[in-house]
Amino acid sequence: MKFTIYQESRIGKRRSNQDRMAYCYSRDALLMVVADGMGGHLHGEIAAQIAVQYIAKRFQREAMPTVADIPLFLSRALINAHHAIVDYAEEKALADIPRTTVVLCLIQDNTAHWAHAGDSRLYLIRDGALKVRTRDHSRVQMMFEQGLIDEAAMRTHPDRNRLYSCLGGLDLPRIDFARPVALHHDDLLLLCSDGAWGHIHDDQLVTLLDAPDLLAAAPRFLDEAEQRGGATCDNLSLIALRWHADGEPVQPTTVSTDTLGAQTVTTRLEGFPQPRGDGQPPEFSETEIEQAIAEINAAIQKFSP
Amino acid sequence: MPPQANAPLPPGYQLDQYRIERQLSLGGFSIVYLAYDAQGAAVAIKEYLPNALDLRREGQIEPVVLAEHEAAFRYGMKCFFEEGRALAKLMHPNLVRVLNFFRANGTVYMVMRFERGRTLHDLIQKHRGALRERFIRGLFIRLLNGLREVHAHKLLHLDIKPSNIYVRTDGTPVLLDFGAARQTAVNGQPALRAMYTPGFASPEQLDRSSPLGPWTDIYSVGASLYACLAGSAPPPASERQREDTYQPATKAFAKEHSSQLLETIDWCLQLDPLARPQSVYALQKAMARCEPDEPMPGTVFTDLGAKIKAFIGRS
Repeated sequence: MKFTIYQESRIGKRRSNQDRMAYCYSRDALLMVVADGMGGHLHGEIAAQIAVQYIAKRFQREAMPTVADIPLFLSRALINAHHAIVDYAEEKALADIPRTTVVLCLIQDNTAHWAHAGDSRLYLIRDGALKVRTRDHSRVQMMFEQGLIDEAAMRTHPDRNRLYSCLGGLDLPRIDFARPVALHHDDLLLLCSDGAWGHIHDDQLVTLLDAPDLLAAAPRFLDEAEQRGGATCDNLSLIALRWHADGEPVQPTTVSTDTLGAQTVTTRLEGFPQPRGDGQPPEFSETEIEQAIAEINAAIQKFSP
Repeated sequence: MPPQANAPLPPGYQLDQYRIERQLSLGGFSIVYLAYDAQGAAVAIKEYLPNALDLRREGQIEPVVLAEHEAAFRYGMKCFFEEGRALAKLMHPNLVRVLNFFRANGTVYMVMRFERGRTLHDLIQKHRGALRERFIRGLFIRLLNGLREVHAHKLLHLDIKPSNIYVRTDGTPVLLDFGAARQTAVNGQPALRAMYTPGFASPEQLDRSSPLGPWTDIYSVGASLYACLAGSAPPPASERQREDTYQPATKAFAKEHSSQLLETIDWCLQLDPLARPQSVYALQKAMARCEPDEPMPGTVFTDLGAKIKAFIGRS
């Protein structure tokens, strides 16, 4: 597999970033996932984090180096991520179950498979035109499809943030599984949260992103989206991927997985809070070590005959 | 097993009040030594020393932890403490006993009672499917007593397999290696950790599809029982979930063993956690149920005890 990939998450003008995302690849499979923790409910970022972590872990475990049953993988990954969020809420006795949108794409055998719940989107751009994108699970999208409002009204409708499907929450998510698409050389895939697409029309999005140098175009696109987001700009996140067919010339920025071991999975997470220092788990201090030893020895004494 | 990256402590080395005799075994995160305490009694000492980090060269004593590995080293130490915490609370003849826990040489050490015998894994290898049913039952009924104690403390072992079941020279079992053990009722779901043994780990440990509980360890007990008959583990749960090639013990070993033991094994190895025995007690009850003309397994394993004279690690 050969591809060029760019991923970035920005906080916008919000106090916290509730978007989480990741991409992982083995020698023969690539996974991308974007989750946008829902505001208006408690701990949206926790739901997004659990979802992305869970899905990435599952991929790491199963893509050895390919996923055996892709539809099953997608549905299990999403449904179990939903249950993981619900379990977390129950375990921590949260007043409300955190919620997150999710869009997930798996590429294997030169074919893209994707699924989503909520209003994080996937776009497939081919030959300078939008080929396909996901339909949001939002009230405005439903009203549009029923002919109640037009496209312009969708962008300004007061209910434009109301979703009827997400991971977490009380109901099982409604998940849309797309028909798999065989990828062509130079196809562009974009996964993004609503902060990134919210103020940009589909055709503008294509123009902005579909430049020869993806690694320059993607951050420029985010600049534009952030600027249009204005003073209340939402969190914006995107993963953009340019697919390279086998045998085509490779740029220095291209990721080639051909030399990876069959059991290796590379994972890049984005938007996850860094505990301390350089992303290592928090340190275990001297005092904590002493305490742990004292505690264990106390237990040994207590339970000794 | 990866090559040993870290040099063991040299024989004769005085570690706190213990004198190191020799290395017994090597794990991913530790080295286990045979040592003698001040009174000359044998103990097993587990030294925290992640093999992946390459911390100690020949001739060195104190591990050298590079700055970039410091956080990982400390994090692993935390997990080592969790094992110590779990074991310190448990006091049972069929569970490995922790005697002391201390810091030295910039790392930590867990002192355990030294047991003489060999692992069930070795016995299975040696007898390849020819372990006698009486022996198997006697072993597992005692082992389950130990496991009941673990569960009574709201802990799960999570890595039960023949190589973690030690068979003393008198034929009684000791459950070892609580490195994966986790508190359940207090902290809820244990953190995700990839340290399962294919074939012995339950499906819910692999994909988190349902909560872990006593039934999780019970699956591993079933797989260990199965290995006693088959000579090897049943197919990994992940594989079984895709396409179940598991040959029910009731079919595969119908001629050689009692249907009651075989039914119990198949019961433990159900993929659906709810379809398994839900508690060790329920499992023990099923195992202790005797056929009309069959006596309960004896307490003395004379035939076997005579055969096993090996010390730990010599096998």
